[in-house]
Amino acid sequence: MAAASSEPLRKTILNPVHRALGGTMVDFGGWEMPLWYPGGAVKEHLAVITAAGLFDTSHMSVIVGRGTNIRHFLNFALSKDIAGLKIGRAAYGIILNEKGFSIDDTIIYPLAEDRFGLVVNAGMSATVISHLRSLPGGEAFSWTDLTGVCAKLDIQGPAAYAIFRPFVENADAVFAKFPYFSFQGDFDFAQSAVHLRDGTPILLSRTGYTGELGFEIFLPAAKAANLWNELLAMGAEQGLTACGLAARDSLRAGAVLPLSHQDIGPWPFINNPWPWALPTDENGAFTKDFMGRAALDPATAGHTLPFAGFDPRKVETHGAKVLLGGREIGHVLTCVADMAIGRVDNRIYSLASPDKPENFSPRGLVCGFVKVSDPLAAGTVITLKDARRELKVEIREDIRPARTARKALG
Amino acid sequence: MKDIKDLNLPEGLKYDVEHEWIATAAPFRIGVSDFAQDALGDLTYVELPEVGATFAKGDEFGTLESTKSVSPLFLPVAGEITAVNEKLNDDPGLVNSDPYGEGWIVEITPSDAAQLETLMDVAAYRKHLETAGH
Repeated sequence: MAAASSEPLRKTILNPVHRALGGTMVDFGGWEMPLWYPGGAVKEHLAVITAAGLFDTSHMSVIVGRGTNIRHFLNFALSKDIAGLKIGRAAYGIILNEKGFSIDDTIIYPLAEDRFGLVVNAGMSATVISHLRSLPGGEAFSWTDLTGVCAKLDIQGPAAYAIFRPFVENADAVFAKFPYFSFQGDFDFAQSAVHLRDGTPILLSRTGYTGELGFEIFLPAAKAANLWNELLAMGAEQGLTACGLAARDSLRAGAVLPLSHQDIGPWPFINNPWPWALPTDENGAFTKDFMGRAALDPATAGHTLPFAGFDPRKVETHGAKVLLGGREIGHVLTCVADMAIGRVDNRIYSLASPDKPENFSPRGLVCGFVKVSDPLAAGTVITLKDARRELKVEIREDIRPARTARKALG
Repeated sequence: MKDIKDLNLPEGLKYDVEHEWIATAAPFRIGVSDFAQDALGDLTYVELPEVGATFAKGDEFGTLESTKSVSPLFLPVAGEITAVNEKLNDDPGLVNSDPYGEGWIVEITPSDAAQLETLMDVAAYRKHLETAGH
């Protein structure tokens, strides 16, 4: 990622809080972040499936672009068609280069017709701003990097809404209509119309990286520790659990969400499980001109596919090969264990599945993504091979069932 | 992670640089240290060897797996596997919760008991942890 290992690690405003909680701290994208807390990554993962988890994601970067016709400019710069994206609705898109390679992924927030927010990955703001400035017309806009100024807490899981709602001023009005991938408030906190009950202005986004119901809460960095501590105190009875990056990684993999620079990166962004990030019509034809479009050819690009296995055993993510009938057809991108799922009579159930078998007690399943030369149908069994073992896994359309991200609030 | 001073490092065991421990009398039980289980995090799977398998000193005889990683287990002395802890198949977390008790991994018959003398006692292992910069 962006920071070289010789540079000192950056720390979020919550770093002392993570240390006080006994978090195991690691380098992630040049930031010192909690991998897990003493309760452990399995408990954290399961809390998000059955109750709720709280994540510090303040290492991510918020960029605000400002200027006349910025929507038109960003609609060329991003893979997603945002021509009709309403103010108050968010969208997921990819920042592609001229080769159709992913520079980074982003959630786009139209704040006003002349002001758009982009949330990108840790350490990526300078790269992304430099790229945007280099595009035709990009110098005409002002680009502000709010990294470090703006903190972000993610509260995710079926109990997230019930736990968080009492913290929000005018909650009846704020939550009256709050669908998945919408937001309220502003990254310019001085003009945000959404506040916590203690007066803290926030931007509240009904998004996340777990596949579960919840919010990403953007707020002034100085207010983050207070909200973190109060949420954990008030939410404890309902099972709210502080979660680190390991649980975030296993939750997102089970939810078939990509990790930027691992599952998407310097290869053409096409033939993957995220076609909704591309501007395609029902026939797969592109509906707009955008950076990288000419290089996205489904006939020549490889295929990125989700898989799940039959037990929790894994292969090393780095260097593991993919075999089909003994022939090497690609390599592993992500390989983790989702500990909330298991197979019964070969069907995958989650702890959250309403129709799970009695006494269902999953041991977890290996899952992730492979990048292969062949377009494999769901159900195809492939072999993952590293120096230690050969592991049979199944190509999947989806991995963890009964996810709650889109459920109605309340 | 735990500070070294907070680690549970029992007397009377021998330790190797890969953080396995071994009992010094029959049954020669083997597991991993509190340092190792703390560093690996919650275990989700333990791959155990077959009873009767034989290994040289330092051979990989199984794995400890977390949600994100696969870590090899190395035999601290050469020998034959005489028992494996079957409870770990259903509850790999025993290695985390009780690394020297319920979370033992295998028992062996050493092929050369003198190899035990090449391993560290608890004072030397603690010093190894401190000087290795953990």
